[in-house]
Amino acid sequence: MSEPHRSTDPATSSAKTGAWLALLLAGGFEVGYALSVNGSAGFTELGWSLVAIVFFLLTLFFLSVALKRIDVGIGYAVWAGIGAVGAAVLGPVFFDESLTAVKGFWLAVIIAGVVWLKLADSPTLEGTARDSAPGRTTEVE
Amino acid sequence: MSWIYLAIAVIFEIAVGIAAGKAAGFTRLWWTIATLVAGGIATFFLSLALLTFDVGVGYALWTSLAGVGIVILGALFLSQRLTWKKLLGIAVVITGVVGLNLAGSA
Repeated sequence: MSEPHRSTDPATSSAKTGAWLALLLAGGFEVGYALSVNGSAGFTELGWSLVAIVFFLLTLFFLSVALKRIDVGIGYAVWAGIGAVGAAVLGPVFFDESLTAVKGFWLAVIIAGVVWLKLADSPTLEGTARDSAPGRTTEVE
Repeated sequence: MSWIYLAIAVIFEIAVGIAAGKAAGFTRLWWTIATLVAGGIATFFLSLALLTFDVGVGYALWTSLAGVGIVILGALFLSQRLTWKKLLGIAVVITGVVGLNLAGSA
């Protein structure tokens, strides 16, 4: 059993920081995307529609930059979490919507589920969690 | 009608998830084009669904149900393993969607 390779090279770690910044930006743009798609009112409002398209492209770009260095499962989990929490919290700020305790609770359950689902697709976490997974036959070396 | 728009948006978002994976960081032209086209259609139908749903609710339903769909299709057609962790995630998402509906918030 070998440990996953971990580099401590400073150049690599600053590239890693850049990747995480790109991921946070992608999450922020995804929130903007969700809000502007809502504001576009079925793409009948020109201004919001154009903003939605720009946010969509920015999200894709920054997400692809981030996922070059961040594990796909972890990256998608963080990005999806930021997008969904941001849309739920900021929806009532920008639009005539409410976030009640009950609605917030069930949204939190859904968001926790999708974040968990993305993390379950992570090659990195799968590698470290392999030994503790129940019902899995032990690999013979 | 809003649930039908949402379902169509979810189907195309599943296509986005699969195409974006195959686009390999958008270095493959046709998978990149497929990602953009599917994303455009998904976005349009999401906007129709959001005419009825609150953005926080509609967006969470859309992204989470697409996530469930990607995992299930991956297991059925792309020979990815359906682990107990993934099944747990699917169960939690569905619990949340049902709870949201029973609470009358969706």
